[in-house]
Amino acid sequence: MRVVIDHNLCEGNGRCVEVAPGIFELREDDLSYVLEEQPPQSLRPKVDLAVSLCPRQAIRVLED
Amino acid sequence: MAALTLDSIDIVNPDLYVQRGYPHEDWALLRRDAPVHYYQRPDVDPFWAITRHADIVGISRQPALFKSIQILFVTTNDPGSPPPEEAILRQLLNMNPPEHGAYRGVVNRRFTPRSVQQLTAGIERITTEVLDDLAGREECDFVTEVSAKLPLAVIAEMFGIPRADWPLMFRLSNEMIGPTDPEYARNETMIETLQRARMEFFQYFSGLVEDRRKNPRDDLSSALANGQVDGEPMPMFELMSYFALLIIAGNETTRNATTGGLHAFINNPDQWDRLKRDPALLPKAVEEIVRWTSPVIQFTRRATEDTEVSGQKIREGDIVVLFYPSANRDERVFAAPNQFDIGRYPNHHIAFGIGEHFCLGANLARLELQVMFRQLAERVESVELAGEIQRMRSSFVGGIKHMPVRIKVRPRA
Repeated sequence: MRVVIDHNLCEGNGRCVEVAPGIFELREDDLSYVLEEQPPQSLRPKVDLAVSLCPRQAIRVLED
Repeated sequence: MAALTLDSIDIVNPDLYVQRGYPHEDWALLRRDAPVHYYQRPDVDPFWAITRHADIVGISRQPALFKSIQILFVTTNDPGSPPPEEAILRQLLNMNPPEHGAYRGVVNRRFTPRSVQQLTAGIERITTEVLDDLAGREECDFVTEVSAKLPLAVIAEMFGIPRADWPLMFRLSNEMIGPTDPEYARNETMIETLQRARMEFFQYFSGLVEDRRKNPRDDLSSALANGQVDGEPMPMFELMSYFALLIIAGNETTRNATTGGLHAFINNPDQWDRLKRDPALLPKAVEEIVRWTSPVIQFTRRATEDTEVSGQKIREGDIVVLFYPSANRDERVFAAPNQFDIGRYPNHHIAFGIGEHFCLGANLARLELQVMFRQLAERVESVELAGEIQRMRSSFVGGIKHMPVRIKVRPRA
């Protein structure tokens, strides 16, 4: 899987960083960035939680 | 009373919202038997009522398939209702991508968690002053003397609006959000109230815009007045509408969450004691207050092509109506949904919406509610109802206009 964030939607709410801190990071510009674009499958539940919790629905998971 | 059936439920008549508050039993029946229900009544334009959490999330995630439209909510067709396609304002709530994102981008950085944190000291100060005014009193109208004051002061300070004009902002917000309520509409029809309030708002804001273009400050008025969309200043109607949207939205919903929250604590004294004993519960308590009160009752969308929602065929052009308080009591998502539990976790409520139109002010609302309920828990020695609550006549925003309480507030520490 590949994790991407749509920066036209992201507004730095940071829910993704709360539930998956190793995969996402909130930076100075108040946008969330993907630290690990292709996380191991074992982290899939955390990624899915971040996807569903994002208030702006800005995170997408692209399947390989 | 006769048992509820799909033919006897009523979820949009504003008079019923005055009499009984939210129709949670009607919504529960819909969720169970007809989660995507074609609602037809003689005095209502027909629509699909969407009442389950998963369906509202699914529709909200597809803003191209389910577009926002001019008419934001459905209600009974009173004489003097605006024609359905008339845009009272052109603002974020009835815009669609990509225009919506371009407009939202003018101010959205001012509402991120980080930006909003910088307002904490001001919000603490205003809240302390509001409660100071109650110390030594025995009774008050909690709405006009507490809940309404904090959000009004905060949004007005963010805009740089002088204190003398705050009552005007309060009145015009009420008239724009509650034009179907006799207390706010006075002797006018709904459309007359809306048009007059809009004119007064626009007159006031055009003065602000003129001033902030000459003397820009670090306030929201300046950000809007000098803001650009696609490299151009905003057209005047859209600019005025933007001011009105933020003033109204900043006022009404947090007020109602505050009032509804205290009302829930009065009815659940064990939860009040729990918060007083354990202030660390505050962030969870605020989420539960927002879930429980769900101040926005509904928003509409229109299907742009033939589609399906949970197996039900929806035709191009059909209106779907998303009932957020129903989603926030959905048994499929929440354990004991009709219990007010300030320790609830996780709490995936969608009272702020989700996706493209997620509430721009959610972080501000959360902060205001946290400060308010922390100070209330610290300073209120006792509180109980001193009369009946009065609800706003609206099927759009669940408003409590007046809530008389007997209250003992400790002087400032």
